Amino acid sequence: MPLQTDGTVTENRRIKSLYFALGIYCPSIADRIKPGQFVMLKVSDDNSPLLRRPFSVYKSYPEAHPEKRKRGHLFILYKEVGKGTRKMTSLRKGQKVDLIGPLGNGFTPPPLPSSASSILIGGGMGIVSLYPLVEAFDTGGLFVFIGGKAEDDVMCVEDFRKFSSDIFIATEDGSLGFQGTVVDLFLSQKKRFKGEGKYYLYACGPVAMLKAVAGVVEIKKFVSQASLEARMGCGFGACWGCVVKTNHPKTPYQRVCENGPVFPLENIAWE
Amino acid sequence: MQNFDLTVKIGKIVLQNPVIVSSGTFGFGGEFEDFFDLNHLGAIIPKGISLEPRKGNPPPRIFETEGGILNSIGLQNPGYKEFIQKKLPYYKGLKTHLIINFFGNTEREYIELARRFESLPGISGLEMNISCPNIKRCGIAFGTDPRMAYRLVRAVRKATTLTLIAKLSPNVTDIALMAKSVEEGGADAVSLVNTFRAMAVNIHTKRPELGNVIGGLSGPAIKPIAVRMVWEVSQAISLPVIGMGGIMNAEDAIEFILVGASAIQIGTANLINPRTGIEVIQGIRKYLAQNKINRIQKLVGAFG
Ligand SMILES: Cc1cc2nc3c(=O)[nH]c(=O)nc-3n(C[C@H](O)[C@H](O)[C@H](O)COP(=O)(O)OP(=O)(O)OC[C@H]3O[C@@H](n4cnc5c(N)ncnc54)[C@H](O)[C@@H]3O)c2cc1C
Ligand SMILES: Cc1cc2nc3c(=O)[nH]c(=O)nc-3n(C[C@H](O)[C@H](O)[C@H](O)COP(=O)(O)O)c2cc1C
Ligand code: FES
Repeated sequence: MPLQTDGTVTENRRIKSLYFALGIYCPSIADRIKPGQFVMLKVSDDNSPLLRRPFSVYKSYPEAHPEKRKRGHLFILYKEVGKGTRKMTSLRKGQKVDLIGPLGNGFTPPPLPSSASSILIGGGMGIVSLYPLVEAFDTGGLFVFIGGKAEDDVMCVEDFRKFSSDIFIATEDGSLGFQGTVVDLFLSQKKRFKGEGKYYLYACGPVAMLKAVAGVVEIKKFVSQASLEARMGCGFGACWGCVVKTNHPKTPYQRVCENGPVFPLENIAWE
Repeated sequence: MQNFDLTVKIGKIVLQNPVIVSSGTFGFGGEFEDFFDLNHLGAIIPKGISLEPRKGNPPPRIFETEGGILNSIGLQNPGYKEFIQKKLPYYKGLKTHLIINFFGNTEREYIELARRFESLPGISGLEMNISCPNIKRCGIAFGTDPRMAYRLVRAVRKATTLTLIAKLSPNVTDIALMAKSVEEGGADAVSLVNTFRAMAVNIHTKRPELGNVIGGLSGPAIKPIAVRMVWEVSQAISLPVIGMGGIMNAEDAIEFILVGASAIQIGTANLINPRTGIEVIQGIRKYLAQNKINRIQKLVGAFG
């Protein structure tokens, strides 16, 4: 059940190039948000831009968090791509922002008890929504594939290192790690995942990347969930503006905000 | 605080206040129950319903433009049968009025739907959408040709005793003429405006921004045109007029009431601030207090 509430900006700093970290003190949402869920942020007081913008929550700290100064805080990592995110860059510490959240279904963790390994594949900003998984889940092995166009677009590597030493990086221009797409990189490492056991695979990124993942994983062996992006009108299921085509027999167009953003990978009808 | 009379009458329906949430922008209502108490609204109009389910248009379905949004949802809905089985029971627990928005591909479908809704409990009125701009065939000819609009409304009128509201398309040269036609056809009220046919092109991909190419424009960008149309219509007919188009707050709502709207609908604003409905009601109350007006009805058409 989402709430509409005010948060207070605690920081808004450039990490590198077009990437920013936004900290918001918002205990009511921080307390309840689950991995893979998102918030809708009103980035301006006026009608420009008009609609809210959807953002995954990168880190959140509930009221009961041991570190007092972190309690009730949530963090968004965003890339400046257009009008709304440009306005966001001018948010200042102490300013109030209007949020709706938590929204969406979030990821389903591997069933417990499980020693099965998990694989994360994130393209560009997609890696942001996968990070809360590693903090929340108690899994066996963890393999993280992170991709971007160039070195600057590779995000969150240091945070993932705390949880896994199996981190694989790809850039399309070869400026960091493997040269190629993150899916090419995954394919090149796929022999690691031989053997009998199942793997739990979580992917988030541009549609082309998710489609490529769907093309290379055997669903019986890789239990796969994908978090999708779509332009959103409301974010809470009211407008049917955010649909994606699925294999659902009766209602092929499902709402990304309400029925997703996480879908079993095999349910998406790629076009 | 002093008590203000906010009630307005639309056909046989007495609304506790003139604030209605518009079809297609309020889901089936339940999506908003976490944000405020829906019982405060004048009326709820859920997503438009057709006889058969509609799967809607291919994405992208939403694109933001300056002060507005383009949508091409394509009237996706579960169809009459699933609506009455799965959605209608929800409204039983609410004391606000339920007005059903519906549309058909043919005159016969409109009549059939009107007849079926007639026999169901808990429905206060019907809003017939003769104006959807983003699906082919649907009411578009009904919505832009005054003679066809007259015929259609007359036929539906015969099929129902419920309060019948005709929702007009703004995509016409003479909106007053359309309003007169549906008045003659026997509608109890008119509502306007639906969205304006519009489109946008991505200059980098050289492709349309909407999967359906053409969509409907709504939001603050359309408000001045909508106000003008509501004014023209309210001068041309004697039925109650329900005004909408870009209402974001109480000030916008009062503007529509001043030019002749007996009630107003909130659309796009629901998506951005889901509490707009209740905030508009509070804002209208405040305006009445400040201006020492005890009845909202005194404000209707008080312009000029
Ligand atoms: C569930 C979800 C989670 C997201 N999480 C993050 C996140 O953690 N960090 C982050 O930086 N971004 C995230 N996004 C994308 C983010 O919402 C968009 O980048 C943002 O809305 C762009 O707004 P704008 O006004 O700056 O761009 P606009 O001026 O609206 O558009 C600029 C460009 O961005 C594209 N775009 C616009 N809206 C979206 C959208 N909703 N999804 C995808 N592309 C869009 C447009 O097609 C265009 O190419 C997420 C999107 C969704 C749906
Ligand atoms: C996403 C969306 C879906 C809509 N769906 C419907 C619909 O199903 N039936 C209808 O009569 N009008 C529909 N409309 C039109 C609105 O009810 C309203 O007439 C229009 O948006 C103008 O008001 P606004 O500017 O306040 O949004 C829709 C509008 C939007 C933005
Ligand atoms: S964004 Fe409105 S239904 Fe998903």
